[in-house]
Amino acid sequence: MVTRVGRFILDIFKGAKGIGSLFIQIVYWIVFGPFKKKTAKLESIFYQMGFAGLRSIVIVFFVAIFTGIVLAMQSAYQLEKMGAVIYVASLVSISLCRELSPVLTALVVAGRVGSAIAAELGTMKVTEQIEALETMAINPIRFLAVPRFLALFFMLPCLTVVGNISGIMGGFIVGSGSLNINPYLYMQTSFKYLELKDVYTGLLKSFVFAMIIALIACFEGLNTTKGAEGVGRSTTRSVVISFILIILADCFLTAIFYFSNI
Amino acid sequence: MSQNISKEKVISLKGVSKFFDGRKIIDNVNFDIYSGETFVIMGCSGSGKSTLLRLMTGIIKPDEGNIFIRGKDISRIDIEELDQIRKSFGMLFQYSALLDSLTVDENVALPLREHTKLDENIIRIIVKMKLSLVGLRGFESYYPSKISGGMRKRVGLARAIALDPYVVFYDEPTSGLDPVVGGVIDKLIKDLSAKLLITSVVVTHDMQSVFRIADRVAMVHQGSIVKVGTPEEIKNSDNEYIKQFINGLPEGPIDFFTEDVDLFEEFGK
Repeated sequence: MVTRVGRFILDIFKGAKGIGSLFIQIVYWIVFGPFKKKTAKLESIFYQMGFAGLRSIVIVFFVAIFTGIVLAMQSAYQLEKMGAVIYVASLVSISLCRELSPVLTALVVAGRVGSAIAAELGTMKVTEQIEALETMAINPIRFLAVPRFLALFFMLPCLTVVGNISGIMGGFIVGSGSLNINPYLYMQTSFKYLELKDVYTGLLKSFVFAMIIALIACFEGLNTTKGAEGVGRSTTRSVVISFILIILADCFLTAIFYFSNI
Repeated sequence: MSQNISKEKVISLKGVSKFFDGRKIIDNVNFDIYSGETFVIMGCSGSGKSTLLRLMTGIIKPDEGNIFIRGKDISRIDIEELDQIRKSFGMLFQYSALLDSLTVDENVALPLREHTKLDENIIRIIVKMKLSLVGLRGFESYYPSKISGGMRKRVGLARAIALDPYVVFYDEPTSGLDPVVGGVIDKLIKDLSAKLLITSVVVTHDMQSVFRIADRVAMVHQGSIVKVGTPEEIKNSDNEYIKQFINGLPEGPIDFFTEDVDLFEEFGK
């Protein structure tokens, strides 16, 4: 039991070291790559942006709109008792922009894109494609990890904005439909208490979540061993670890924003 | 014996050893490979021949000894210097290792696009030339998953020679192929080394292939070199390991069972 716990802790440290080193290498290639005339290919970055961003819009839209609907109904249930049903609008918009939309979008993207990255890179690893790149003097981190990292870094905040808008729309459907709030008044109340900082703290979170998803997925993929079973394990690990780290990071970031009054 | 062999040493291994998890996988290996020759490393599965190939391509570093490529010790240089040397390498992997997400011509063009500043039109011409050399035209726009194993090997070969390397490493080039396609690949290896004056290092356990292509052969057993010689010398060798290996005999000094455990003893009788 003690050895098992010890090995588990050791694995965590080894993983953290590997992820740290991957992060440094990715930043190195992004910052110094252009000086060496060795950058990630633009078409590769755009392709990944399409895969991670454009093709995730539908699922993010549905998750956010239904979350907005549920949030509006649940809060209306409480607020109706106090005769403050109009405040459903601001409650929905603030809680979505500050918290729910960045976290839910990140979780959806970790499941959809992070797992795909881990499985793709993992398959490339076990079929010697990564080794082939190395023997061709092509750095796999520059060639594979950097485009995926940049694509997620830029697309997750965009998806979060899509989530914000769809969530507010969901709330609006409930508010103006079944709660009989005047649509104009609903929208006005939505944005009356919503401050710019509510939006940008949410977006700031999504940048951090994007880095977590990309780093974990690339690390797990590039360190896959043991054939098909290993690819499955890497994919599962990438999703599970991303989920845990996203929630942990969210907790820390919320605490930082709360205590520093951002 | 090829006419193009010179006495210039392209690759030298001096006292190379490699350990994995405390086990010695490669044990004090020494040999030289000369410019223009086809050097075959043969041995059973798990004998360490693929590890030798990975050591020579710098994918793994030796724990003891030195590996010199054209006089430069690749076990003591940083990754940037190693990458410079790797640009003059080509490698054909056992399962071709083509990038699944790229088409045949994109795979062959990859090293050219990454390491040269050639115009896209020139790259396209070179890709066509390289694919012609391996006898594979008309499949440029196919993805690797849509072509046969033999074709994939040939695309891998075209990619390996894309940058006009002076050494090409082949990891089990004929394994998993039918005898005819295996023969085609062997002929290609011979032709390329004659036409392009390439030094070829081939790892295989296919004996037919060994005697078809080799200028010299090294037999590896349990991480050590048993003998280095010409195919004739290997064929006529009295060494028990070599005899067993080339004749594919189940009985002999090469032991396939890890330990002889008495089943009665194991079950406590």
